[in-house]
Amino acid sequence: MLDIKDLQASVEEKQILKGLNLEVKLGEVHAIMGPNGSGKSTLSQVLAGNQAYEVNGGTVTFNGQDLLDMSIEDRAREGVFLAFQYPVEIPGVSNLQFLRTAINNIRQHRGEGEINAAEFMKQAKAKIQQVNLDPSFLKRGVNEGFSGGEKKRNEIMQMLMLEPSLAILDETDSGLDIDALRVVADGVNALRSPDRAVVMVTHYQRLLDYIVPDYVHVLAGGKIIKSGGKELALELEEKGYGWLGLEDNAESEA
Amino acid sequence: MTQLSSLAVVEAHQLNSALPSQIQTLQKNAQEKLSTLVVPTRKTEHWKYSAKRLGDLSLLSNNSETVSTTAFVENAIYIDISAAGIDAAALSEIEESGLTLQAFTQLSDEDCSAIIELAEYERGELEQINTALFNDGLVIRIAKNAVIECPIILNFVQDEAGLTTPRVYIELEQSAQATVIENYAIADVDGAFCSSQTTALIGDNAKLTYLRQNPLGSAFRIGGTTRAILKRDANFESHILCLGSAMARHDLHVLMTEKGSHCELNGVVVTKEKQHYDNHTEIEHIASNCTSEENYRCIADDNSHIVFNGRIYIHKDAQKTLGEMNNRNLLLSNSAEIDTKPELEIYADDVKCAHGATIGQLDEKEVYYLKTRGLSDEQARQMLTLGFVLELVRAVPIASLAEQWEQTLSELLSFKD
Repeated sequence: MLDIKDLQASVEEKQILKGLNLEVKLGEVHAIMGPNGSGKSTLSQVLAGNQAYEVNGGTVTFNGQDLLDMSIEDRAREGVFLAFQYPVEIPGVSNLQFLRTAINNIRQHRGEGEINAAEFMKQAKAKIQQVNLDPSFLKRGVNEGFSGGEKKRNEIMQMLMLEPSLAILDETDSGLDIDALRVVADGVNALRSPDRAVVMVTHYQRLLDYIVPDYVHVLAGGKIIKSGGKELALELEEKGYGWLGLEDNAESEA
Repeated sequence: MTQLSSLAVVEAHQLNSALPSQIQTLQKNAQEKLSTLVVPTRKTEHWKYSAKRLGDLSLLSNNSETVSTTAFVENAIYIDISAAGIDAAALSEIEESGLTLQAFTQLSDEDCSAIIELAEYERGELEQINTALFNDGLVIRIAKNAVIECPIILNFVQDEAGLTTPRVYIELEQSAQATVIENYAIADVDGAFCSSQTTALIGDNAKLTYLRQNPLGSAFRIGGTTRAILKRDANFESHILCLGSAMARHDLHVLMTEKGSHCELNGVVVTKEKQHYDNHTEIEHIASNCTSEENYRCIADDNSHIVFNGRIYIHKDAQKTLGEMNNRNLLLSNSAEIDTKPELEIYADDVKCAHGATIGQLDEKEVYYLKTRGLSDEQARQMLTLGFVLELVRAVPIASLAEQWEQTLSELLSFKD
């Protein structure tokens, strides 16, 4: 469903992705690991359509379409979802109002009618409980005053509501305590199905104990330098990135 | 230079002989003061941006008729105030334990002393005009320890051209609580001008929640002064919905005269087309250990113009003051204008006082985030614009009114094609 070929991208004239190749098929879960500054977040943002990143080479095909040619909102409507590493706070815009507009846009895109108000509320209440947040969060502003962990759980809640066919998780595990990590993992596992795919970008192997990937890739210097099964993550955990001759360079994180 | 005293509406004014003698004296003094004041021009500092909007005051007369209004909040006390005055008989029919409602004409001279005393603080052209010309006024008194649960709604009604000068005095005795809503129902016609004056004396440990709303207009002009005097541990909370009209000006003056008082001022301002709104607020910290918090959010679209002048004045004895003022503004069009001027004047040395004012467009990170969830660019911008002001509307303590304000703002800020 997702085919990335020789992807090159830069931010503020600094080249970050230098020829990245990745193929994701329906039903698969891929983990992309790598040291800080390797381009993990850049990949996530480029796939979501962040215009701060300039794509200067390569192609991304999503379900047979040119993803890079699509607007941000059309990517979302076609089923791409990015769980942000740093979700923004939007006071004044309630979670409910925003989610309902989002769902209706996606439904309209699929040629479906607007969601019934009662059905929407029922789903929203069920999903917010699924990520272990109080239902009062629904009426609050988007991420307004949420803790870091609550924001991440809210991302997962949105993902469960929007039911994307491709979920990209950008370091959703970082900064989470073990309980929150379980909640996030349960959410992602609940979404796993033969007609969806998940790409998890992470710095730590810990998440992969809870969401077992089909494939693990090591991203370094803007390219995927090694791919393997879930055992690759364990090897990385044990030996560190140094094993692959890589420095964990925090300063160049993009 | 036209002296205010030479305006036809001032010269034609007939003193209401039914007013208590002390009030008559107050009014005569104010009329004399008008001969020392001139119709503001753009060279008048506190009218710099708004003087040209005042219109031709020489055409004003004070003979407007009244209109009836409809209830907009349930379980509330409604009082109509118009050029025809105040219906004292209707006031006497309102029965609420701890609440006394009177017209000025029903007051004894002794009852007037606080009104006379507080008139010392008056200033500004529109306020002087009100004091010189009001025909009658309303007194709202809340007895010690009384908590008036139902909001008291003042309908300032005016259905044709002319000047109306509603006048209100509110007094909360020790530990009393009340909510007062000023609703301006002004016909949107040329030459309609409403200039109100409200003074609230908030006693020890008492709390006044004050709300104010006016309709959107293109022709009528509205001015008003609200002054709150806070005693020890008193609390004043205000929520103001400012919708633009040909000229709109509100002066909010809070005086924290004794220790431990707190005020919270929230304002939402939205103007479109050629509308205008000018807010001048001043918080005076006179005593120590008082706190103030002010948040005004403004959105100007089309060719409209918003002015925000917010001043915090900390007197030399006002140690341990906490003052915070925040004014954020959004310009939705290249030809809209917002002039913001936060002013701090601090004469005490142990205070924490902060102010911030921003004028800007929407945060592109927020627009991006919403679009990644499938919202169109227009939907995202509309939602964020509305959210910018709804954050303050959600703090309005009367849920049904907050919903109405949200509805009004949603309609107002829904994007054009």
